[in-house]
Amino acid sequence: MENLTGFWAQWLRPSAGLVTLQWSLLLALATIGGSLCQRYVGLPKVVGYSMVGALVGFAGFSGAPWPLQGISLFLLELGVSLVLFECGGRIPLRWFRHNPMVLVQSIAEAALTYFSVLWVLRWLNTPADVANPIAMIAMAASPLVLSRVITDLRAAGAVTDRAMVLATLSTLYALTLGSAQSEVFLRPAQTLLDSTSAVAVVLGVSILVAAVLSLLMRLALQFMSPNSENTSILVLALIAASTAVTAHLGGSAPLAALLGGMLLKHLHPRPWAWPRQLGTASTLLNMMMFVLVSTVAAQADWNLPLAGVVFAVIVVRLLAKAVGVGLGNVGSGASWRQALWVSCAMAPMSSVALLIASQFVTAAPDGGQMISRIALPMILMMEVFGAVLASLAFHRARESAKTLRLLERNPVPGDRNGP
Amino acid sequence: MGLEAFHNSEPLTLGVELELQLLNTHDYDLAPYAEDMLRLMAKTPLPGSVVPEMTSSMIEISTGVCHSASEVLGQLTPIRDALVRSADKLNIAIAGGGTHPFQKWHRQRIYDKPRFRELSDLYGYLSKQFTIFGQHVHIGCPDADAALLMLHRMSRYIPHFIALSASSPYVQGQDTAFDSARLNSVFAFPLSGRAPCVLTWGEFENYFDKMTGTGVVKSMKDFYWDIRPKPEFGTIEIRVFDTPLTIERAAALSGFVQSLAAWFLDTQPFTPQEDDYLVYTYNRFQACRFGLDAVYVDPGTGRHQPLAEHILHTFDQIAGHAARQGAAPALHLLRSDVEAGQNDARWLRERQREEQLLAETSRQAALRFRGQTV
Repeated sequence: MENLTGFWAQWLRPSAGLVTLQWSLLLALATIGGSLCQRYVGLPKVVGYSMVGALVGFAGFSGAPWPLQGISLFLLELGVSLVLFECGGRIPLRWFRHNPMVLVQSIAEAALTYFSVLWVLRWLNTPADVANPIAMIAMAASPLVLSRVITDLRAAGAVTDRAMVLATLSTLYALTLGSAQSEVFLRPAQTLLDSTSAVAVVLGVSILVAAVLSLLMRLALQFMSPNSENTSILVLALIAASTAVTAHLGGSAPLAALLGGMLLKHLHPRPWAWPRQLGTASTLLNMMMFVLVSTVAAQADWNLPLAGVVFAVIVVRLLAKAVGVGLGNVGSGASWRQALWVSCAMAPMSSVALLIASQFVTAAPDGGQMISRIALPMILMMEVFGAVLASLAFHRARESAKTLRLLERNPVPGDRNGP
Repeated sequence: MGLEAFHNSEPLTLGVELELQLLNTHDYDLAPYAEDMLRLMAKTPLPGSVVPEMTSSMIEISTGVCHSASEVLGQLTPIRDALVRSADKLNIAIAGGGTHPFQKWHRQRIYDKPRFRELSDLYGYLSKQFTIFGQHVHIGCPDADAALLMLHRMSRYIPHFIALSASSPYVQGQDTAFDSARLNSVFAFPLSGRAPCVLTWGEFENYFDKMTGTGVVKSMKDFYWDIRPKPEFGTIEIRVFDTPLTIERAAALSGFVQSLAAWFLDTQPFTPQEDDYLVYTYNRFQACRFGLDAVYVDPGTGRHQPLAEHILHTFDQIAGHAARQGAAPALHLLRSDVEAGQNDARWLRERQREEQLLAETSRQAALRFRGQTV
């Protein structure tokens, strides 16, 4: 045996390490989980990815440190930035001129979510420096989960589009306020001026990078076709560079990408074709995000008293979003039924919420543990069940081209809408 | 159900229907917003009507009864403006054009209405491939026999209508080399093409009774003919036009139809006969394929000549009637385009050559429908 080991040792070479092997196998498992979930239950693949990540996380696999840092933080920020850049491009600013009620609707649901969650947490005797961050995290619906659900269900229509826009706007508010607030936590200020300058730095850097990103893309599109693979690679490369630069300069990379997408759409109203070209690379990055989020979130300290608090926050958040969307629905061009399904589709939480939570935990080590104990279970629950609820909403709104087999009496594979 | 009696209508009155594309403003693919548009449009009092079409990314608008092309334009303008306002509110765009250049037929959804579901059950994938967009022009006829006579006289001018309105060069992301590829989709339906050459309403009733007796058709709606009588309106309905990119062109085309009809009624220029149809399919193909560059075979003389030349000759023949109907500006608009060799299909190809992106071509078509200069 010793001879065999000795013989084999001479063939061994330095490798990428055990973590790479673990993550590769985990992604393979997640792929299988996602496919099975879609094939046999009819739910979007993201549910399968998240469940596999959660199971592995519960089993004790700690593939990424908490709060996020290093390569896992960069990968998550890159994935989120890529999707948010594309989501930002779905928000033409001129729409708000024609339909300001959509903006009212988004502000109403985000504000109501923030204050309701803050109120319920304070009512449950949660300290203010914990309640405030959790309320900000709760504001953000997940355009990332929605975009995967929409792709898997081939959903299209007014509810789908409105949900994506409202989720993106809520993410914009949460990222802006969350980044500013965590910066204030990170640099306890003596004066109002100190606080203001800390907020100005994080927002200023994000806006500056967004402007540079959109201008570079605008310049490139003068002579590059949006259909070309090279343009897709350019998008990917520029977003990766902006993610690295923004984080380094003290800004928020996802916020910069989101604002960059919105600015580019404003400067360049021509159709966007490159997201389709991003193809498998983007899908892989997305999948890694969902697995990472659920793996990390599953490491939370789960216990019964906290479960009650988490449950209360989830219920209040869902109600607040429904009431907010409903309040702003008058004159917004959508029916009440559509408003109901839009608010259900706003349920998911995922990587953006995890990033904001990570920022707060890093910035406020005193309250950090408590923030994690509430935020992580909430994010995990809403990543899985939020995706299911969003699928149900698109299905009930008759905007999904695929059947949800759980809901069909005589399930028929494929297109639900006739031959 | 028997054939409805031919109702009275005022001769030479016009009614125009336009099937329109609903597009998202992200990648300018078709967007299933018909129900939302109908809900918003119902709040605005308008002269005509707005109704759903076969798939949920289409909508059909129509005028009321009009007496001239300018009245058609006068009714289409507020409907178009209301459509644009509703579309802006929903963050979608509206466009003309006979086909959407790159939509995928299998992604379309049948609008939830019993008749459309029935058709979907009967025709299978053809019903989704029917996501094509046409303009229909109704012209009032003095009586039922006059309607059939007018129908068959109009048949000689089907190539003219096709070439002037052609706006569907792209299908499923490809240049088809046709100016009007839309009509190829219509041809797949078993009851499409030309109407039988009967010139009296009595004979037509016999034909209809025999067809209903076979169980193949139940009503006039089951015929997808290029021109069909519409007894409940007292009109004939011309259905070969692609939806133009602008309402101005749609109104001008209706003015051309009205002028031709006035010429037929006033001068009875020729008597239609079955032999007219010997060249019908060839002429129709030529117009679809080559647009204004097509060859036209005169059914009466068998003479071959450029279609554009025959169109200009026809304009000259009917100029006096057009002036009396107030359609002279309409004919002038069409004439200048024919002289320049221009139609909407050529405009779309020019845009695509410039932009190299069909989605951008669709966006510019949507801007053109709004009345913006592109």
